[in-house]
Amino acid sequence: MTLEGRGIVCNYGPVRALAGVDLHASGREILAIVGPNGAGKTTLLKVLSGERAPDRGEVRANGSVVSGKDPAWRARVGLVSHRTGLYEKLTVKENLRFFAAMHGVGGNGRGDLAAALEAVGAARLAGWRVETLSRGQRQRVALARSLLHDPEILFLDEPFAGLDPAGAAGLEHILLARRATGAVVVLVTHDLRRGLRLADRVVVIRRGRVAFDGEAVEDGAAELLKHFTTAPPGPS
Amino acid sequence: MSALRWTWLIARKDLSVEFRSGGRLLAMVGFVVLAGFLFGFALDRSQVAGRAVVAPLTWLTILFASTAGTGRIFDAEEADGAFRHLLLTPVSRPAVFLGKTVANLALTWLITALSFVVLTSFLGARVSGSLAAHAAIFLPGTIGLAATGTFFGRMSRHSSLGDSLLPLLTFPLLVPVVFFGATASARVFVGLPWDQVSGLVRLLWAFAIGSVAVGAALFQHVTDE
Repeated sequence: MTLEGRGIVCNYGPVRALAGVDLHASGREILAIVGPNGAGKTTLLKVLSGERAPDRGEVRANGSVVSGKDPAWRARVGLVSHRTGLYEKLTVKENLRFFAAMHGVGGNGRGDLAAALEAVGAARLAGWRVETLSRGQRQRVALARSLLHDPEILFLDEPFAGLDPAGAAGLEHILLARRATGAVVVLVTHDLRRGLRLADRVVVIRRGRVAFDGEAVEDGAAELLKHFTTAPPGPS
Repeated sequence: MSALRWTWLIARKDLSVEFRSGGRLLAMVGFVVLAGFLFGFALDRSQVAGRAVVAPLTWLTILFASTAGTGRIFDAEEADGAFRHLLLTPVSRPAVFLGKTVANLALTWLITALSFVVLTSFLGARVSGSLAAHAAIFLPGTIGLAATGTFFGRMSRHSSLGDSLLPLLTFPLLVPVVFFGATASARVFVGLPWDQVSGLVRLLWAFAIGSVAVGAALFQHVTDE
């Protein structure tokens, strides 16, 4: 599995959020996308996942152009964001059953739901309403939801925000396990040290451009931080 | 999975969320009861018979109450970003629209039934004509209200004006529903035969079918970035 962005340009009205981004990610790889606030990280993730169409450029999976308008592409993608995207008035089980049904993967399959919750250490929460859960518990459930349909590509947008150390460690463990299955994992994070520890490759986005694309080195945060302030190549 | 099953699951989910939170439904019910109460006091029944005004006032009450509720139809979706995740599933956009319209319609029917009872009671209007005839008018009218409200409820979410934009967008479009619906209901109230009503009901059905079809076709443009 490969995921590739070519010449991605994205504008919000007069503001250019992405100004020609090229990147690629492969299966069995965690790609961390880092950068300062407002650099375009989340917009890039939205374009790669198909949530937003680029104004120019294209996204390719295994060499074929893909689009969020294509349900088949959406079925291959999973998303975890800092907003968990769960219905607060429904129980955990009802949330998972609903999203499983939307993905067409056995919405009534109790075994599947239980296994998904077990995998994220949230089995005992099945009957709880989401509104009663802590931030960390919600994030675990959101992760279980994102894995229900066994996506080939998992996008994570600031997934560690608000997690306690145990919750963050659990999430790291799951992402590493996901990588081992051959999935592409694309992680957008502010947490540079954690990103470098987890990722195989790191891309620094600054002012809508790729300022750095290379191997993630665990103790390379200081070196990488230079790219947060240095102007990226290309016309400004 | 079929679009019909998606529609049903989304509608069921919306109604589960609605009945557990209750805020929107309670606000709509409160509005109807208070509106009926105030209309009852405002009307000088020595000058105007309740039967003469019950139909238009009922339709206006339904319109205002459903618009107030429709403005919140996407609240649960937006509260923690659930709509983003729903749109990232393979579910078709028309199915999302239809599911939310069906849930909206179910609530509108509750409001319609309540408005009918409350307004006829407070205005002292004896119900003439069969209930089936009244229901045959309300059915297409409320489908048009629910579909239009769902579509523009989503559109107003994208606007900086938010919910205050909703009446500005929907009321002009819903003039035919209120006009045909109120006229048809009034004719049933005064006991006119069905053949003087059926033409208006056909127009209500045309609006209902058109608003559902157009809403389903265009919903993608008010959801996707």
